[in-house]
Amino acid sequence: MRGEMQLKYNRIMFDAKPFSYQLEFFSRITLVRGDSATGKTYLYQLLEDVRFLDEYHDMKLFNYKSDNFHEELQKCKNKFIVIDNADIILDDEDRKFINFEKSNQYLLFMRNCDGLNLTAGSFTVLDEEVKHVTLKGELVME
Amino acid sequence: MIYLYTEKNNEKDYIIYNDQYFNLYTSNLTMGQNEKDAIWEIDHARLTDDNHIETKYGIGVLRNLSSGCKTYLNVIFNPDKVVSAMECGANVLDKLFEMDNIHLFMSHPERFKISDEVRICFNEGEIVVGRHGYEKWWTKEYERRNAVEI
Repeated sequence: MRGEMQLKYNRIMFDAKPFSYQLEFFSRITLVRGDSATGKTYLYQLLEDVRFLDEYHDMKLFNYKSDNFHEELQKCKNKFIVIDNADIILDDEDRKFINFEKSNQYLLFMRNCDGLNLTAGSFTVLDEEVKHVTLKGELVME
Repeated sequence: MIYLYTEKNNEKDYIIYNDQYFNLYTSNLTMGQNEKDAIWEIDHARLTDDNHIETKYGIGVLRNLSSGCKTYLNVIFNPDKVVSAMECGANVLDKLFEMDNIHLFMSHPERFKISDEVRICFNEGEIVVGRHGYEKWWTKEYERRNAVEI
């Protein structure tokens, strides 16, 4: 719980040698942006396994390979939803769903935030220091 | 000249799913020294003679390259197609905008280095020059989009 906001997961932590991950969330919708080759899709692939852990069984993942993506997304309630390739698979209806279906929390690997209701805490980049990977707040220019 | 398309039309051949296109087609082509240098510069990955890559994540294959790096290679090997740059970070966009006579799809603006000399043609119409021209065009475009929404 952070302020008034109830998040599905405030933090996701796991080890994937040689890296350890500590991902903290400050907004219902978190965007992971930054340069190419910072490990976004690698993280997505790790989360495909992490979701089988008991504590993270409410995690649901989508990418460009997902069948019936739009229909499956609309079925999600009370889930932690991770979407890779979000820039090319999210349409306007999906963005509306993300804004208004507030029972879900989202981790989106994407750059274009048009049409999403975001907060300053939504904007992050992956940061690695001595094999320890975190989500670092991204400076957003108004 | 960089040819930028901000909306898709049926007259052009597009590569939108860069990962898929690269995995199925581009990765089967021979990578020369320029491509190897780009793979190193973008992904810090060393391409071996037997088409494996060595990165900080371990040893992999070409399909393990980043989406941004795959996009860059798709652009190099497919000069006749319009390639989506929507999944590229600034580090890849910097490199793409140093090239000439390439066709990119971008439905929204990004912040990256654009030299003052580069000429950009939007949607086969208006031609602008440099960062200033790029930003000015997008400002007008968002004014237009907002007006349409209202």
